[in-house]
Amino acid sequence: MNPTVILIPILLPVLAGALMLLRPIENLRRRNVFVETVTLVNTAITLWILTHAPQGTLYLFSLGEKLPMTLRIDGMATFFGCIVSCLWPLASLYAFEYMRHEERVNTFMAFYTITYGVTLGVAFAGNIVTMYLFYEMLTMVTLPLVMHTMTPQAKKATRDYLYYMIGGTAFAFIGMVFYVIYSTDLEFVYGGAIDLSRVGQYTNVLYLIYVLSFFGFGVKAAVFPFHSWLPEASVAPTPVTALLHAVAVVKSGVFAIMRFTYYCIGPELLSGSWAQTVVLIFVMATIVHASTMGVREAHFKRRLAYSTVSNLSYVLLGVVMMSPPGLFAGLAHMLFHAIMKISGFFCVGAVMHQTGKNYVYELDGLGRRMPLTFTALLISGLSLSGLPLFAGFVSKWEIARSLFTNGSALASWGVIVLIYSALMTAIYMLTVIVRGFFPARDVDMGELKAYGDPSWQMILPLAVFSVVTVMFGVWATPILEKLWTVAQGLF
Amino acid sequence: MEWSLVLKDVCGMGLSFRVDGFRLLFAGITSYMWLMTSLFSKEYMAHARRKGRYYFFLALTYIATMGVFLSDDLFTTFVFFEMMSLASYVCVIHDEKPGTLRAGGVYLAVAVIGGLVSLMGLFLLYDQAGTLALGQLREACLPLLSGDAGERKRLFIAGFCILFGFGAKAGMFPLHIWLPMAHPVAPAPASALLSGIITKSGIFGMLALSADIFPHDGMWGFIICLFGVASMLLGGVLAIFSVDIKRSLACSSMSQLGMIICGIGMQGLLGDENALAVRGTVLHMVNHSNLKLALFMAAGVIVMNLHKLNLNEIRGYGRKKPLLKLCFLSGALGIAGIPLFNGYISKTLLHESIVEFLKLSHEGGWTLAFLSQNQAALLFRLIEWLFLLTGGMTVAYMTKLFICVFVEKNADPKVQEEYDSMGHYCTPLTAAVLAITAAVLPVLGMLPYATQDRLADMAQTFLHGLSPSHAVNYFSLVNLKGGFISIVLGGLIYLLIVRKLLMGRGEETEIYPNRWPEKLDLLTLIYEPLLLKIFPAVFGFCCRALDFAADGLILFFRRTTHRQLREPEELPADYVLPYYLGRGLNYASARFGCGKDGKRDYRQLLARRRSLSREAWRMFQASASFSLMMFGIGMIVSVIYLIVG
Repeated sequence: MNPTVILIPILLPVLAGALMLLRPIENLRRRNVFVETVTLVNTAITLWILTHAPQGTLYLFSLGEKLPMTLRIDGMATFFGCIVSCLWPLASLYAFEYMRHEERVNTFMAFYTITYGVTLGVAFAGNIVTMYLFYEMLTMVTLPLVMHTMTPQAKKATRDYLYYMIGGTAFAFIGMVFYVIYSTDLEFVYGGAIDLSRVGQYTNVLYLIYVLSFFGFGVKAAVFPFHSWLPEASVAPTPVTALLHAVAVVKSGVFAIMRFTYYCIGPELLSGSWAQTVVLIFVMATIVHASTMGVREAHFKRRLAYSTVSNLSYVLLGVVMMSPPGLFAGLAHMLFHAIMKISGFFCVGAVMHQTGKNYVYELDGLGRRMPLTFTALLISGLSLSGLPLFAGFVSKWEIARSLFTNGSALASWGVIVLIYSALMTAIYMLTVIVRGFFPARDVDMGELKAYGDPSWQMILPLAVFSVVTVMFGVWATPILEKLWTVAQGLF
Repeated sequence: MEWSLVLKDVCGMGLSFRVDGFRLLFAGITSYMWLMTSLFSKEYMAHARRKGRYYFFLALTYIATMGVFLSDDLFTTFVFFEMMSLASYVCVIHDEKPGTLRAGGVYLAVAVIGGLVSLMGLFLLYDQAGTLALGQLREACLPLLSGDAGERKRLFIAGFCILFGFGAKAGMFPLHIWLPMAHPVAPAPASALLSGIITKSGIFGMLALSADIFPHDGMWGFIICLFGVASMLLGGVLAIFSVDIKRSLACSSMSQLGMIICGIGMQGLLGDENALAVRGTVLHMVNHSNLKLALFMAAGVIVMNLHKLNLNEIRGYGRKKPLLKLCFLSGALGIAGIPLFNGYISKTLLHESIVEFLKLSHEGGWTLAFLSQNQAALLFRLIEWLFLLTGGMTVAYMTKLFICVFVEKNADPKVQEEYDSMGHYCTPLTAAVLAITAAVLPVLGMLPYATQDRLADMAQTFLHGLSPSHAVNYFSLVNLKGGFISIVLGGLIYLLIVRKLLMGRGEETEIYPNRWPEKLDLLTLIYEPLLLKIFPAVFGFCCRALDFAADGLILFFRRTTHRQLREPEELPADYVLPYYLGRGLNYASARFGCGKDGKRDYRQLLARRRSLSREAWRMFQASASFSLMMFGIGMIVSVIYLIVG
């Protein structure tokens, strides 16, 4: 198959979004139909392309000497592309209902659709330059989404978001330039293509560059100490928080780190180096810090945002083991976390949308009135805490296994960190759910009569995610086998 | 007779099940208990709300408990163990009163924390032994135990982590806190299950640990034994002090479980000669399940009718109710270890296992590395007596309950009359259930060779136990002696402590006051402050500090090297003097380097001062002329007044 088709899923949503900006569709129904059609068609095309996996690299153009723009589909691209394209139509469906009473919805939906294309661009990028470009674009197109409500809080959050992102990409830029100059092959190759003869004795510089770019890309992945934009950005409408700040944007950061570690610098080179120790310590600190803050946070959505921070670092904990099992565990958790966290956020969104309540202590007794929503939240919460029979357990088990395979003392500490964090997760998720179903104080149930489960557009995504969470928890072998081939670079 | 089932790749690691003697026995007991409690629930829950939820989670707990007892590897055990904890939580908090929710919260917290620590232990064990299958662990762990000290230490750490979770469920000191809280508040059928079988799933895990991971390890056995002794003593003391019928039974569970744990410890200590300990442990598990089923359901009948638990309030309820009295009596005699009832058999075996160890250590064959022979002899002599004392305490608190509910009259004669008139207190179905569960107990006790010995034969292979070299004669004088010592001790405790110290004078008759100091509670004294105040404060402080460090760094640079420049202001035009003066000062500061930085523009500064002083002067002028005008007006007014006046 001609690799040119890779361009279609990237361009289609971008063009559709641009069209919506130029010619706003004011009719709510027509707009929803238009957006959902574009999203579904794009998802269909993406999945078709991914299953037929066009061989070869699509060369687009060159920004200058040694700066070619290429697109290619390999195992990692398929993996990330699949996650994004499967989640997007459901999230759009949810967004229609959630945004029903908001203002400037046309602009919102336009940028939301554009983001779809750009995220796929990050996934399908064939070399680090292309990835970097799409990565930057992702920051830019999501800015209006974070700012959407235009409250002072939202503006502040957007400003911080921008500062953090620009600061981060500056670090990442250093890594990119270094790699462009010191690599034998600019394209992504499993195992990396650093020209060791030219690096020579300056391996410490290489490590330093790695650490810098790790934190650079790590800003999107919310690695401590660059994490605080993520809880702040939860002022954005829930479809944004759920899809972008639990999946698309943050996972792009993780994805970029995976690409840079396993496809640029190379895990063999980094394994056992001080660079690995440094990033490992920061990743562990992030997990401990974020899960502790999650318990302390009373704002429900921010609490989940902290949970995202810690879970992203679970993925990175696997990734920085610098071994195929580590990457495998990271990929598995990336996938499962995407599903269960988007479900969690959608539940929060449903509660906010139906009742306007934001804080954990306001949720007493709501589970009785919104049983479907809270059941989905229960499944998501149990899965996040890593309980057996749910997806989260499978991936956490794999992460722990990769930590033990590594065998160093620091990695064993990682297991303790995992357990601590699992405990904290259980606390911050279960306290909410227990409150919802079994109110601690006497609640006037008559007062809650007005509330109920949301419409099917919100419930359908929740139902799908819950079923999938349990399904993967009980039977994940086919998908894990696939991920294992990806993690070994065979696909 | 063995079947096994492997579900490959389910839940990541794959689940495996096996049916053999021990598992069959406990699967049978589980099913029997569920059958009985479900039948009992029919009347007990007749007026409860949300019955559907109760029965659904009861069924889910059943599935999970069966899963635990049939599991063939520790991973499967763990999966179902967690499921059981969460499902039973919903049964425990069924009535959703504040006190219930609090107790349920403690139950859930202990279960979750215990589960996670166990998981940690499983990780460690899997890493070290390479397998979690119960059939392979023994071969994998034996070389590790006899290997070098480091390996041994790691295995012990893994073992303690796993023990944490299972021990918490088994009510082992100091993780027993949920037990006396959750049992009284749960519906009686759920209490019976909690105490009778769910705690046994914790014991199942401990047995797997002792038999497969630390087989015949003296050190491990010794530690477990000490935990067991602490649990059985504390449980007994708490039960004697308790004035709540279900709480007493719950504390009694803790005490009996302590005995079982003690037996598990003796298995390790006795090594190859642990036949008595193995059989005693298994049989006491079986007996205790049956006993608590009968006792909690009998207590359930009282609660169902009166909705009260306090001994002073239910006092005298059981008079003139022969069926209830007999059922409770059967349970009481069984648990107190009275000969001809089932508890006596297993307690005797456990006691004999301690005696056996004493004998062996006297012969010099079995000493512990960390204890000299004399110390060991002394210590285990003490443990033997503590064991008998616990038996005595069991006699004492069961006598207290029985006499209070079934013999004494209520302090208020009117209430007593009312109680006596309640002839119909349960449906025939409930009565039948009670009678069956209670009738099992003396049958097991009177025909030990036909019943209990066979059960023990069935189960002991799981624990790698051998049949004892000679059959135990349960009713020989030597064995009866231990039982009688306990009974005498129990009588003394009841007469001297319960009647003299723990009963106070009420208005007319003696009542049962709660003499246990309110403050003396591990939960409120240590765990809650530690987990809810100290840990969050310390961790929270660290997190805040780290957060501040990250922000503070940026703030620091913003204030120092990266300070924003002020926008250059346009110089005002008409300030001639400040302009030149300022230029001079600018020059001077640039030249001589005084002032904090060279970038301050003195022209701006002086011009701003100047405009400020101009503004002030203008205001002053305005106010002076205004007051002058007012003065003038005042003058005119007074002149006109003078002229007119």
